[in-house]
Parts: sequence; C-alpha cells; structure tokens
Amino acid sequence: MSATTTTTSRRRGFRLFALDMNEIGLIAILLVLYFGFGATTNGFLSANNHLSLLRDAASIAIASWAVTLIIIAGEIDVSVGPMVAFTSVCLAFMLKADVNVALAILAALAIGGALGTFAGSLRAYFGVPSFVATLGLWSALRGMSFFTTNALPVTFPDNAFLDILADKIFGIPTSAIVMLVLFAVFSFISQKTAYGRSIFAVGGNANAAELCGINVARIRVLIFTTSGVMAALAGVLLTARLGSGNAGTASGLEFDVIAAVVIGGTALSGGRGSMLGTLLGVFVITLIGNGLVLRGINPFFQEVVRGVIIVAAVLANILVTRYRERRTFGA
Amino acid sequence: MQTARQQDPQTLVAAVRGATKHYPGVLALDDVDFEISRGEVRALLGKNGAGKSTLIRLLTGATVPDRGEVTIDGAALTGSGTQRTVEAARLGVRAVYQELSLIVGMSIAENLFLGRWPSSMGVLSHGEMEHQARETLARLGLTLDPRRRVATLSPAERQLVEIARVMIGEPKLVILDEPTSSLAAAEVELLFKAVRSLAGAGIAVIYVSHRMSEIRQIAEAATVMRDGRVAGTVEVAGADTAEIIRLMLGRSEQNDRLVGEARGGDTVLSVRDLAVPPKLAGVSFDLRRGEVLGFAGLLGSGRTELLRAIGGLDAVRAGTVLLDEKDITRGSYGERVRSGIGMTPESRKEDGIMPLLGVDENTVATDFSKVTVNGVISASRMAQAAGDIVRRIGIKTARIDTPVGTLSGGNQQKVVIGRWVYAGSRILLFDEPTRGVDVEAKSQIYAIIRELAAEGKSIIFVSSEIEELPKVCDRVLVLRDGRFVQEFVAPGIETDALMAACL
Repeated sequence: MSATTTTTSRRRGFRLFALDMNEIGLIAILLVLYFGFGATTNGFLSANNHLSLLRDAASIAIASWAVTLIIIAGEIDVSVGPMVAFTSVCLAFMLKADVNVALAILAALAIGGALGTFAGSLRAYFGVPSFVATLGLWSALRGMSFFTTNALPVTFPDNAFLDILADKIFGIPTSAIVMLVLFAVFSFISQKTAYGRSIFAVGGNANAAELCGINVARIRVLIFTTSGVMAALAGVLLTARLGSGNAGTASGLEFDVIAAVVIGGTALSGGRGSMLGTLLGVFVITLIGNGLVLRGINPFFQEVVRGVIIVAAVLANILVTRYRERRTFGA
Repeated sequence: MQTARQQDPQTLVAAVRGATKHYPGVLALDDVDFEISRGEVRALLGKNGAGKSTLIRLLTGATVPDRGEVTIDGAALTGSGTQRTVEAARLGVRAVYQELSLIVGMSIAENLFLGRWPSSMGVLSHGEMEHQARETLARLGLTLDPRRRVATLSPAERQLVEIARVMIGEPKLVILDEPTSSLAAAEVELLFKAVRSLAGAGIAVIYVSHRMSEIRQIAEAATVMRDGRVAGTVEVAGADTAEIIRLMLGRSEQNDRLVGEARGGDTVLSVRDLAVPPKLAGVSFDLRRGEVLGFAGLLGSGRTELLRAIGGLDAVRAGTVLLDEKDITRGSYGERVRSGIGMTPESRKEDGIMPLLGVDENTVATDFSKVTVNGVISASRMAQAAGDIVRRIGIKTARIDTPVGTLSGGNQQKVVIGRWVYAGSRILLFDEPTRGVDVEAKSQIYAIIRELAAEGKSIIFVSSEIEELPKVCDRVLVLRDGRFVQEFVAPGIETDALMAACL
C-alpha cells in the first residue's frame, strides 16, 4: 500500500486509534529511549520511577491537550507556565483565607478561563497575534505572582481533598489519571464534535471556514478559554502536590508543552495534528528528562540534549510531511 | 482578417516568430507571430485562455516555446529556466502584473530599488536613492514624494509606483497586464499620463485590457488573440468595437445551451440602490425563485464586490438588500447563511476548500448540526449526508474522507457547491464557479446549476467568461462603471451583444 492511502485517507471510524507514520516513528523512539535507559541506567525500571514518570508526564500533558487544539487552529499560546503559577498562587491565597476547597478550585479554573478568554478575544476581535497576546500574559502573570507573594511560598492548612489530588488512586498518581481521562475527552472533542472539527477547519483555511458560516472568531476565543482552564487545572494539581502556592513554579513549562505538541506532529502552520501525537510527544520529553537525571548528566548539559532532540524530532516530522505531500498532492 | 502592419526592422523592439507552445492537453500558442516597435503602445486582447498570458510569458522569458523564436532588441533569447528571464530582463523586458508586488511597509524609493539599493562601501545611501527615485518618478510626470511609505498610497498611486519601478535600468518593452482593473475611473487618467511618458521615451508598451474606451485613448493598434493564434492586428482608429468582438469570439457555437425560455417565479431577493464605494454606485435588481441570473462585466467592474455586499461580507454605504421582503442589509454573513444564502468564492484554493479535511467534512462544515446527535458528530450520518451530495453532484473521489486538496479542480469546485446543497440554501451566489476547471467539469457544473434552478433555488452566476453566461442564465445583467447598464433575457442572448455591452 502506498503512503497516500495509509496516511491520508484513514477510515474515520477507526481514527482515534489509527496510527500515522509520524506516530509510529514516535513509538519507535519511545521504545528505544525506554529500553535504552532501562538497560543502562540503575533505578530507571523501578516501580517508583514509573510513578514519577507518570507524574512528570501529567504536569506537561494536561496543559498540552488544550495547546494542541490551539496549534491546530494555527495559533500559539506561550503563557502556560505563568498561568499555572498564577492560578496556583490564587488558589493558595483562597485556601489560606479558608474558602471552601471546591469553591476555591472552581474559582481558580474560572480565573484561568477568564485570562485565556481575554487573550483569545485580543486575537479574534482585535487581530493581535496570539504570540504577542500570550507573551503579554506570560510576563504579566509571572510578575503578578511574584508581586503578590513577594516570591515567598503561600502556605495553607492541610486539606483532605487536595491530599487525594496529590496522592494515588489504585496505586496510580491522581494527576496521571486526570491526564488520561482528559486525553480521552480531548481526543473525542477533536474528532467527534463540531467544535473540534471547526478547529481543524479554521486552522486549515480560516477564509473557507468563515465562508462556510463557521464562527471563526468564536472558535478562536474558545480555544484560549480552554487552554486557560487546563493551565489552571495543572496549577491546582501542582498546588496539591507542593502543598503551597509558588510564584516561581512551572518555569519554562510552556516550552515543554509546545515542544511536546510539535514533536507529536502537530503542524505549527495549523490544520493538522492529533492528541495521540501529543501524548507520545509528552512521553518523549518526560523520558528524556527523567533518564538524563538518573544518569547523573550535568543538568546544564541536559538542556542542550533536550534542545537537540526537540529540533531533530521536528525536523524528521517536516521531512516526513514533505515526502507525504509530494506523494499526495503531486510535485 | 489580418492587417499587415509594416514594421521597420530598425525600430523593432521585440519579435515573436512562429511560436508554438503545448501544455498537457492544451495548445496554448499555435504558430504565433508578433512584433512591436519603439515608442508604440499596443493593446492586446482576447478571452480567457486565448493565449495572451502565454505570449507575455514568452516575451518575459518565463516560458520557452516548443517551436519558434523570441527576439528582444535584435537578440534571440537562448537560455532556459530562470536564466531566460534574467536574459530577457537584461535586454529590457519589464512586466507589471495585476497582483501588485510592492512591500507596503517600505518607502517608494526603497521599493523602486528593491534588492539593488544604491550603497557606498556596504552602507545604503538613502540620499542617493531618494535622488534617483525622484528623477525616475519625474520622468513619468509623477510628483510623489519618494520617502512616503507605500502603505499610505492609493491603489492608483501604487500601480504608478509599479510602473516607475520598471523604469529602473534601461527598459525597452514594458508589459502592463490589465493595469486599470483595480482603479476607479478618475484614477485611470494618471496611469495614461505615465504610459504616454513611457511611449514618449521610446519604450514599447504592450497594454493588456478589454476596456475599449481606454484602448481608444491610449493605443494605436490592437492585437486580438483567439484559440492560441493571433486573430488579427487592427488600427484602433479605423476599427469599430463590433469588429474587435468578432475577432475575439470567432464563430460562436450556440448549440450547447441549457436554457430555453427564461423562467423564474416570485421575487426572493431584492437589491435596491446598493452602493459600495469606489466600485459600486447604486445597483438594483431582483432575483426570482428558480432563476439563474448572470452578472457580466470586465475584470474590475465590481462583480465580486457586488456578491460580497449581497452576502454581507463587506459593509455597504447605501441601499438595501431584501430577502423575502425582509431587510437584511445590516445582517452579518452568518445570519444570511442561516436564512438560506450560500456563497462560493472566486478563489477556490484561498477561500473555498479546507485542503487537509476530507470531502465529507468539507461538505458538512456549512451545518454540523444536521449530522450531530447529542453533541457528537455521527460518523454514519456524516458519511450518508456527504455521500448523497457526492452522488447527486457527481464528485469523483476515491473515498468519502479523501482530503479535498488531492482532488482535481473541478471536483473541488463541486464540493464547494455541494456544501450549500447539503445546507439546503435557497439562494446561491456563485463567483466564477468554472474558473480553472477542465471542459468536462465545466459542462457538469452548468448542468448542476440548471438542476438546482429547476428545484426552485435561485442562483446568481458571476463569470468573466462571457460566452458561458448565455449557456446557463435565464437573465444576464451587465455591470459597468459600478452600475447595471443593460439586461439580457433568454432565449436569444447573444455573446457578442453581451461582450459589446461590457467593453
């Protein structure tokens, strides 16, 4: 079978599980990394390390699902890290003031959603490039977090519900369960709802989508709202794990998130991408980070290795895409 | 008829001799001869696909003829690929196309010298650049300040800067491709002044246009192309419009018409005194149920602007749009879509298809709710709905979810039309629905349009290919200078009469 039929005209019924060439490549990379580290690194295969791998993956993945939608729509969100920190600080302040925990968490999610909506509205109604709108948020939210906390952790009384979030259910970290549930939800949204398919339509050709009667501006606002809520959720889980609100937390998370999404094969130009790809991308990043730490590689050099691997993975993805387009669209 | 124009070999600037050019499935040029002399302004006319563009591409070196030769200023072009265009440019061929290629954030002067900015020891010399720019502009009789940013210029002024740019170096032959199509009538005089300056400086000008009034003012002779050949070259002064139209159309085939007696029921859409400056100055018409209404007009006559205004995509200055006697003038595009209006854009690739999505999703994108059950898109309903459209309209696709970008142009266009059939729209606005599709797909699209009309849908059909309007339209309105100037009613709409009304 030619590349054309295997990669571009999959039956939709199986689409949630159908594998792209890029995804097969990522699985191969993951296997190499996993068994490579497993064979050479002490403690990598231990049960504890697997739990820690899942927790690390969850901290990136939950924000990545929404950012995948944003990048498919041809936009970008660089505000994730500060958004996580800011909502974490907000939550901690509310808990410190003895606000009911459910209410406080909902309020934190609402704050994230509102800030995301603000960035999305700047993009959709005023034409501010999403990079600039979210870069503004990136700076303002990080600054606001430090300003309100004086860079000190905000502690709050022990809380049973947050302890569950920080702990394990049936031996699996709660955050990892949240990650997997949301993976299913976002896969479903992206493939099976009008909202999800409209995102692909807007990213593939916004003019055509507009002429079809799709409300492009509304889609553009909604994806940033979603992203804000997801970042806030990541903030809630992080606050539970740390037991305090920290202004400096999740530093650089936005780059891990974007890297995971693009490694997963989502095109920065929009219109193409998948949640499964992002899931694999998250695991690639997590495995590399974890393995390098366990091997005791100099932490500064770890950053170098990570940078090289991210660019190499995306380059490979572009070459595959180019090859595929030549086969599909001709010349 | 072929009026032999004696060309003095001493003053000959460019000559094409015996040029033939095949493209897959098309004979674009068939043994064409063409000559032009110093200081001459020559109009070039012909329908879409008559071979004008290929002839221009031969002269600019963008295309190598299969047979025959191209001589510029006495030297035959010999290179191939980009080398040939460089060669032609060095010999003095310059072309200004309809799509402007200025960088709007830079000054006029910087644009004039784009990529070849005057510099000394690696440092740009702005003073020198402005000085040279001012001189160049003055040679065309222009008084624009070369320091102004292009973004601040009007469309006409931008067009003039494009023309000024070709003055850099030593141009011998300047080709202007429909230079007035984006200009308002008042701005045309500025352009004429510049063209006369070019001719006065001994430069030969090829002026592609179909506006007879302009051609009479600016050109001495007109070369008319048809079916890849030069149908004739006539002195403009001695030729009447009817003769030029006859050369353009040749013998017209009238036997493939799909329209008998003009039909149409009650008025569904009523437009009154619609004004969208600068292109539309008060347009009125009624669209009836089950009717195909054609809009004819030259490039730049405001056809697309009119459709966009009816569709609510552009704001209107004055006038009303009534749908079923309800005023929808201020309503958004989305509201109009929901009340049964559908529009297919002129540029299929840029505004029509979502290339990576399948035929099915491209079809149902106009109304996801019809295939959604409890908030979830039903794969089977979507396949069925899209499958109905595919069968009904005759879209050739390997599978229902094949990415639309991989289909042929004709099938892509059918998908773009089909999505409105799926949505159940009653009023369809088709902007150039047959552009860039092959002959077979064209006649299929005509048949689809007639079938939709027979079902009681009302269709506005915009086309720059005048001869296809009589084939499908019950009525044709001719747009010129921002107004409808004439109405033709089937049967018996004659292509040459339509053409004459447009020019």
